[in-house]
Amino acid sequence: MAAILRAENVTKRFGGLVAVSDFTFEVKKESISSIIGPNGAGKTTFFNCITGFYEPEEGVIRFNGQEIQGMRTDEITHKGIARTYQNIRLFANMTALENILVGMHPRLKSIWFESILGTKRFREEERMALDKATELLKFVGLQGLGDQAARNLPYGAQRRLEIGRALASEPQLLLLDEPTAGMNTQETAELTDFIRLLRDELGITILLIEHDMRVVMGTCEMITVLDYGSKIAEGVAEEIQKNPEVIEAYLGRGAASGLELNAQ
Amino acid sequence: MNIKRGFQQGLVILAVFFYLDLIGLPTFVGESALVFFAAIVGVFALSFVRREHRKEPKSFVQVLVYSLTIGLVSGLGFALVTFIFARLQGQGIRVNEVFAEIKPESTAILTGMSVADIRSGASVLQGLIKMVLYFAGGGLVGGLSVLLFSGRGGVLQSETGAKMKTWTTVGLPFLFYAIFVLNRQVALPFFSTEGARGNFGLTIIFLFIGSALFSLRAMKPGRQKLIVVLLVVLLVILLPQLANTLQNAVLGIVMIFIVMGIGLNIVVGYAGLLDLGYVAFFAVGAYAYGLLSSPSSYFLVNVPWFGGVSFWVGLPIAFLIGAFTGVLLGTPVLKLRGDYLAIVTLGFGEIIRLLVLNLRDYTGGPGGVLKIPSPELFGYNLGNPQGILYLAMALGVLVTIVTLRLHDSRLGRAWVALREDEDVAEAMGINLVSIKLLAFGSGAAFAALGGALYAARQVNIFPDNFALDVSINVLSLIIIGGIGSIEGVVLGAIALIGLPEILRSVSEFRIIAFGALLVMMMIIQPEGFLPSQRRARELHAGEANNPVVDTEA
Repeated sequence: MAAILRAENVTKRFGGLVAVSDFTFEVKKESISSIIGPNGAGKTTFFNCITGFYEPEEGVIRFNGQEIQGMRTDEITHKGIARTYQNIRLFANMTALENILVGMHPRLKSIWFESILGTKRFREEERMALDKATELLKFVGLQGLGDQAARNLPYGAQRRLEIGRALASEPQLLLLDEPTAGMNTQETAELTDFIRLLRDELGITILLIEHDMRVVMGTCEMITVLDYGSKIAEGVAEEIQKNPEVIEAYLGRGAASGLELNAQ
Repeated sequence: MNIKRGFQQGLVILAVFFYLDLIGLPTFVGESALVFFAAIVGVFALSFVRREHRKEPKSFVQVLVYSLTIGLVSGLGFALVTFIFARLQGQGIRVNEVFAEIKPESTAILTGMSVADIRSGASVLQGLIKMVLYFAGGGLVGGLSVLLFSGRGGVLQSETGAKMKTWTTVGLPFLFYAIFVLNRQVALPFFSTEGARGNFGLTIIFLFIGSALFSLRAMKPGRQKLIVVLLVVLLVILLPQLANTLQNAVLGIVMIFIVMGIGLNIVVGYAGLLDLGYVAFFAVGAYAYGLLSSPSSYFLVNVPWFGGVSFWVGLPIAFLIGAFTGVLLGTPVLKLRGDYLAIVTLGFGEIIRLLVLNLRDYTGGPGGVLKIPSPELFGYNLGNPQGILYLAMALGVLVTIVTLRLHDSRLGRAWVALREDEDVAEAMGINLVSIKLLAFGSGAAFAALGGALYAARQVNIFPDNFALDVSINVLSLIIIGGIGSIEGVVLGAIALIGLPEILRSVSEFRIIAFGALLVMMMIIQPEGFLPSQRRARELHAGEANNPVVDTEA
């Protein structure tokens, strides 16, 4: 299947620190892929490069064949990429429903003087938006919590709301930054099912950063491992689990050699 | 817990009364001042206790203790204030040289004694005890009515109850007024003289605005709209007729500041862009109309065919120039956030004032712009306090409608998102440049409207009218009223702009009063008196269902 996102030789430096180094990477359409790696490996930096928060110094990022590196964040969102954040970044004082309505921003067309005049088109669009937002709220399992301020929602609900807000922009590619962080086993399992549902029912391509190996190994069709900004491995779950370089990156040299000894 | 909250809130009420005392409300209301004050304690207690009760339902005894604390703290505090003034006046010290309205007459009214007694230093103890009892009674009635009306299972949770609530909102001011009249035991002395007309008018206004603002917040959104429209129409028509000339003049300037406050509220309250140079756009509006219309205008005087524009042409031009200036000054600060933005905008305010002061050939410099024509409508000259107030209220209504509509639109949501988290807002596909410029532009345009009207009101304008303190005033009234809420702006403007106008003899003190008030607000009620509320919009969420999630978290 064709690639929806392609990064070629992407390098991002912060002063002397090379956060992402010569990274080449591909996400296939309607796949669930994952980037893993130890803390500080450059995973979130790479996400930030895709979404336009950072501009990579070198390399090309193509979305649906179109170069997007260096574009403004909002333009990239309009192209169909949405994301969530490692530490939840909801609009804390807005209600859950309003958070989703803000997420729908790129799909709404009305402009300011239409809303001042209260034109028919504006009113219809608002009604449509409200219906759709309510539906979406239901879809992410937050029915009845729409009028709560986002900061008052329980942790799990905030994670779901953040995904709901990202979905509201009707993305083709959804980037999830550690979606199950801080969740218990039960919540993690639910969210994993939900991520699969997003792909299967809505056909959204999903790229996630995750530390929970059960989630990664259980859902992802393609796994890429980053360490010190460079790609050290790529493949399906079984390949990654056996790769000595990956084990070394996570557990240190001793552990990797110990594993080899065991294998012998 | 209840006692501590009650104590704090009692102090808030005390501060409000101290203010009302300073502006001479007791003399103004006459013998019924105590009843009037007790009623205000009641309204405050109702609002405070209801809020606490919503967070966490309280038992009868808890509410009793709570509202009694509110009443007693405000009562004892105010008694102490009155006692101090009475002692000073008893010793022949003229307090009114500092606080213009604290005269023996006012103390006499509050303690139910004669002016001669106060002057001779007689004991006011009996009057003070009566005062504390009145206040405590007001607090109890207000607080306990929460249990009756708003609590779970309270009357107002039922369908009939909701209807009742709607009607009490409209009826409440009239009810208060009826009590007020009965207490005076005289029904109709009000229309006879100019002064009495003012009393009647302002009493109605206080009661109207107060009870409307507080009870509106408890109502369903659908009903709210109709009632707000009704109240506003009534107020706009009646207010200038009921008030006397002085009051019209004061209310006119208050209204101009409300228009500006609503504009700044878009920039600071909605979009979260701290603008400390807002006076720049006020000045631009005033000078735009002034220079285009004044016969003594410095650069038009040499244009033979141009006789100056009328107010109705000048106002939209001022509006457009204001919007343009807003966008122009907004462009260089697009990348700045928080403190940096505040400091740069602070500079803009001064730059405009200095430009006006120094571009002598165009603006007249320190000589100002003189003889700015008054607005006229169908042959009526609106250049009197009453006419200006009508115009200012019309502008206020217009600006409010525009702001509310913008707030409930895609743009309004984008503004709030920008305030909450700029980076994430951008990642939601929001074009930050355009929404920031729209915020600066509309805020500036509203200020320019206020400025044009101000120029028409003042007839002569000078650079000194547009100093830094205008920016500070507008910002303070937003903070005190409640950031992001239009009701808050109205309340803030009445409290802050009315104050120096009434305390004119001691205007040097008003900066101190502002400072004290701001510090107090930040400690007791950091979100302002009437903070913005997120509107409940999810269709399925019923009124009766209380929050599923603990809101204290």
